[in-house]
Amino acid sequence: MLKHLLEYDFKSKFKVLIIFYALATFFALLTRIFFSFENSLVLYIIAQVCSGVTISMVFNILINNIMRMWARFRTNFYGDESYLTHTLPVSKTTHYLSKFICASVSFLVSFAFIGVALFVAYYSEENIQIIKSLILPLAQTYDSSIGGLIIVLLLILYLEFFNILQCGFTGIILGHRMQSGKVGFSVLYGFIVYSASQTAVLVAMFIVALFNNDAMNLFVTNEMVDIGILKFFIIFAIIIYTLISVVLCFINIKLFKKGVNVD
Amino acid sequence: MNFIFDNNTPIYLQLVKQLKIHIVSGKLKPGERLPSVRDLSLELKVNPNTLQKSLFELEEMGLIFTERTNGKFVTGDSQLIEKYRKEYAHLLCQDFVLSMQELGFSKDETIHYLENGGN
Amino acid sequence: MELLKCVNLSKQFGKKTVLNNVNLTIPRGKIIGLLGKNGTGKSTLIKLMNDLLTPTEGEVLINGQKVGVESKKVIAYLPERTYLDKSMTVDSVVKFFAKFYSDFDTEKAYKLLNDLDLDVNQKLTKMSKGMQEKVQLVLVMSRKAELYILDEPLGGVDPATRDYILDTILSNFADGASVIISTHLISDIERILDEVIFINKGEIVLTGATEELRGREGESIDEIFRRMFKC
Repeated sequence: MLKHLLEYDFKSKFKVLIIFYALATFFALLTRIFFSFENSLVLYIIAQVCSGVTISMVFNILINNIMRMWARFRTNFYGDESYLTHTLPVSKTTHYLSKFICASVSFLVSFAFIGVALFVAYYSEENIQIIKSLILPLAQTYDSSIGGLIIVLLLILYLEFFNILQCGFTGIILGHRMQSGKVGFSVLYGFIVYSASQTAVLVAMFIVALFNNDAMNLFVTNEMVDIGILKFFIIFAIIIYTLISVVLCFINIKLFKKGVNVD
Repeated sequence: MNFIFDNNTPIYLQLVKQLKIHIVSGKLKPGERLPSVRDLSLELKVNPNTLQKSLFELEEMGLIFTERTNGKFVTGDSQLIEKYRKEYAHLLCQDFVLSMQELGFSKDETIHYLENGGN
Repeated sequence: MELLKCVNLSKQFGKKTVLNNVNLTIPRGKIIGLLGKNGTGKSTLIKLMNDLLTPTEGEVLINGQKVGVESKKVIAYLPERTYLDKSMTVDSVVKFFAKFYSDFDTEKAYKLLNDLDLDVNQKLTKMSKGMQEKVQLVLVMSRKAELYILDEPLGGVDPATRDYILDTILSNFADGASVIISTHLISDIERILDEVIFINKGEIVLTGATEELRGREGESIDEIFRRMFKC
């Protein structure tokens, strides 16, 4: 059953995203092509425009990915289509997991395409040197490779997106349980849950800091801190974010299982 | 079969009556196989359980019988059919005479109407 | 074990009580009419049977179990509204149903669609509401369910289609399966009903076998209803 739901969810999701992926890649290509003409002002301006569009496509991909997931969650589970969804012989857990998995995969794919688009548009020895010069001091101070640092940051970004998504889901579920689905309340509840999760991260870090003076320095001073501690905290952040993802998943499923009251 | 039903009285009674008339009038021939309950209820647009009940009644009366694997059949007993036919004729006449009496016609006038086919 | 049982079922929306202490049993192999004026709780009761609402009190048991995945496998529900994903074609919806319901008869679905002159490759967005409702009817009737629940299947349909719907219900009526038809168009369907349940203001006011009621009251179900619920 999960398999069939996933098929259905993936089809709907990527049918739309693919358009944005294509547009981003297309404009990235144009950007590169037009930038390669060194001597024309007109072409340079066109290149800048294409560059701007590429960047906006990148944002489009991210925003569309997350907002459409929210919209689909709402229409599938609380709109007219809910009459179909909730009468299928599928548990609510399975329904949620399908959305969960679909989101994980689509975010990964989106990130990948964004990477491709940016690479196609902007990769050059020059640009790489600029990035290196920015990141290297940081990487050197914290004793890691550039690649490693970028991967870690991307991972944190990915998890952050995922948490925002799930907080949104919580908001939608709570908004329907308590306020008969008014959008404003869903947004409010989502925001509250998100703030709570971010606070939880800070609190967790603070608790760790209570046991470690070096760590406490992070909170009380603005000096550069011990490499080891910062590395630890980055790993800690990844673990905590993952934990929050899982906890949100559990909470959402539990709330969802309490049942819906469809209009 | 074109039955006309009235929703104000139990359908199964109406079914019994109409099927009985079909049998005694020969519209359903002796020994003829009846359509399945499913098909017949579809044709008549009545509830299959109701139809089943009326067929049961007719079976009790001996007008139809069930062969386990082959379905339901009209009885081949033409004497029985004739008996019911005569019974009907009797009832119809009784009703007719009574109605005419209620209207105030005498026996002779009633016979006159009968002989002239109602004219 | 009864097919479906409602035990002390109540539903409130805020302060408003829509269903009050409903107790009823749906037996197997019967066609049952759920009759009542608009807004008296028919749809609420049906939604509770289909996990679209959660009870405020009491419960709905299907084959002895609470409403859930198992009950959804054996119930075929036709809602009053159009509820399919409109971006799909008729064909993809049929395939979708076939994947999720093991009792779905694909061949029968295509035959019924053909009978009703519906183009299998057309997208639902391009169909009129009436056509979409017909597709939904086909989907329900192509299942070999233990319980069919039809919410106002005859409303807003032309007389020819109405006849077709009644015929389909009758011919679909396999051994042991039950059908619950919720409607306010009583005279059209009372001839195919085994039993009726009258509901008014969220309460069951009458249940009984149609033939028995006719015999006892000497009136059609339609007449009895009118008499009981005179405005």
